[in-house]
Amino acid sequence: MGEENVPSSIVQFAQLDSLLNLGRANSLWPMTFGLACCAIEMMCTGGSRYDISRFGAEVFRPSPRQSDVMIVAGTINKKLELAVKTLYDQMPEPKWVIAMGNCAISGGPFKVKENYNVVEGADKLFPVDVYIPGCPPRPEALLEGIMTLEEKITGKRRWPRVHPG
Amino acid sequence: MTVPIHLRHDETFVLNLGPQHPATHGVLRVKLTMDGEYIVKAEPVLGYIHRMHEKLAEGGTFAQFMPNTARMDYLHALAFNHGWALVVEKAAGIEVPERAEYIRVITVELNRIASHLLWWAAFLLDLGGFTPLLYAFDDREKIIDLLERVTGSRLTYCYMRFGGVYNDIDDEFITGTRDFIKRLRGRMPRLYHDLVTHNIILIKRIKDIGIISPEQCRRYGATGPVARGSGINYDIRKNEPYSVYPEFDFDIPVFDEGDSMARYMVRMHEMEQSLRIIEQALDKLPDGPVMGKAPKVLKPEAGYYYSAVETARGSLGHRLVCDGGKNPYKLKLRSPTFSNLSLYGEVAEGMLLADALAFMGSLDLVIPEIDR
Amino acid sequence: MDILEKTQVALAGLFPESALSVSPEEEGGQDVPPRESGVLVTNFAKHGSHLDVLCRPDQVVFVAQIMDREGYFLEAISGVDWLDQQQFEVLYDYNRLGGEHCRVMVRTRVPRNEPMVPTISAIFPAADWHERETFDFYGVHFQDHPNLIRILLPEDADFHPLRKDFMP
Repeated sequence: MGEENVPSSIVQFAQLDSLLNLGRANSLWPMTFGLACCAIEMMCTGGSRYDISRFGAEVFRPSPRQSDVMIVAGTINKKLELAVKTLYDQMPEPKWVIAMGNCAISGGPFKVKENYNVVEGADKLFPVDVYIPGCPPRPEALLEGIMTLEEKITGKRRWPRVHPG
Repeated sequence: MTVPIHLRHDETFVLNLGPQHPATHGVLRVKLTMDGEYIVKAEPVLGYIHRMHEKLAEGGTFAQFMPNTARMDYLHALAFNHGWALVVEKAAGIEVPERAEYIRVITVELNRIASHLLWWAAFLLDLGGFTPLLYAFDDREKIIDLLERVTGSRLTYCYMRFGGVYNDIDDEFITGTRDFIKRLRGRMPRLYHDLVTHNIILIKRIKDIGIISPEQCRRYGATGPVARGSGINYDIRKNEPYSVYPEFDFDIPVFDEGDSMARYMVRMHEMEQSLRIIEQALDKLPDGPVMGKAPKVLKPEAGYYYSAVETARGSLGHRLVCDGGKNPYKLKLRSPTFSNLSLYGEVAEGMLLADALAFMGSLDLVIPEIDR
Repeated sequence: MDILEKTQVALAGLFPESALSVSPEEEGGQDVPPRESGVLVTNFAKHGSHLDVLCRPDQVVFVAQIMDREGYFLEAISGVDWLDQQQFEVLYDYNRLGGEHCRVMVRTRVPRNEPMVPTISAIFPAADWHERETFDFYGVHFQDHPNLIRILLPEDADFHPLRKDFMP
């Protein structure tokens, strides 16, 4: 965060912008876009053990017009491609995309030479902000992905990264 | 003189349900032709998560297909593992030791309970109740912890091998499972039945909704709780027993009404029966190896093979055609929800939209299993 | 008589020659000619089905009518691509819902360049989607099907993916 020099708008309010970013980061409303197996881990993250509500993101909106972040959880197909692109275009700015799971990153286990139907990664269709590897990634990994997105938005991390050992 | 618009009843419009919708079944699209709030024609459109499993089976060896089996119905992945292991063991003539069979049954039944718990949570979420999801996921996390100790994964298990299972269970798993059985039996009457099953709102939403007759079940090939909720006593574990199921004493819940309430009660009772099976299996668990002798490169003799297992959604079939090589020549996966969903178009005619969604939830759909 | 014999007797009317006495393992051996059609009893423990019925494409509907009368249900329809014999094979699996258990596999072979099989969706509505899937994957054309369009691939796809000579 901070490598780009592009200002977010013509008129800059320094402290107000960082306050707005803090608000946006702490209340990311995801769109329910669970396609396949990763959707179940996303639901587990919304459950009470790996509570996503502590990060302000438990309000899964069915409509793209009311959501901030699209968590692409699952495999994208050639048949579904147009629908996904439409949903991404319908989300209002500022919007972010989290690619959850190996299928959304690169096609995952379906990126083989016989592949005739799977789009190899969500980033072939629209820009992705955070990639979460795993098949499926654990709920803790999804939470780490949300914290990485928050860091991307505000420039600061909610709490320090844990290093093993 | 023309009739004013608001008195005309022959105006229909097409409403598109999906492929992205808040019900957690996956990517299913249903083209609904509506007359006001009533459905005139419902046509499910599939293929939005078609991931070419049958082509991938032909492209790799028998063992390379095992991880794919879990990605189809990820909620009851161990049963899909089991079905694939069964058909290849039949074709190649591989023997499975007894301890491995018992471990297979214990883990498959635990997974069945987890699948039914998630169905229960998602069904009530469709009907508008959010709280049961939190209770069901709480119990489900306990099951997932137990299975993670033994298999290494939380959701998409690749635990079975041709000839047994690859990892033995330890004493902590056995004590943990017994504790879990006690815990779920204690929670069922209050949290699951008093709060939800006897709830007047649920009863009014799902009683007499989506009545499927036994003849319709036969014509469309519906199996599993959908058939057992219509009075058909068909469960592969009793009718075509495989593995060590004949050793256990359990009942098959069958309800005759054919409505969504009957299918709901079938699944709730099935959870209790699975607990009985697990208890008996833990009591009778023999010692011994968990992996039989299997050749490194499998080349079953040419022929046509079929295996059927009972998953949480119905009868899963693997139709395998071998030609003597090391890859399957053709694998057809007979998915239970594919047949269960095919009767949706006929039964949903004339229903209210909200009832049609309750009916769809009671069929327990997992779309990646339909699309394979 | 039990259901297996009952079904055999009901099906035998379609095939003038009696069921061959050769077992499936010997089929295709040195001196045994491949059979044209007939009903074979197979080893259930090994193969998973009790009967193996090989019929001509035009007999498929009659077989389905007999199975319906005997109370079977259609479990699955699959296709197999025998590239070196230039034939498609369509496999029908019939099973019973409850009561005595009997699984019957019905097979029929069609030429690869013009695969036409009559539909059985008038007898078993389950066949509707299964035949659409076989058409989608192999290009087998089911005559008189009410709605033979693709079911799993996009509607405008122009290939049949499960053919053995298909590689994207």
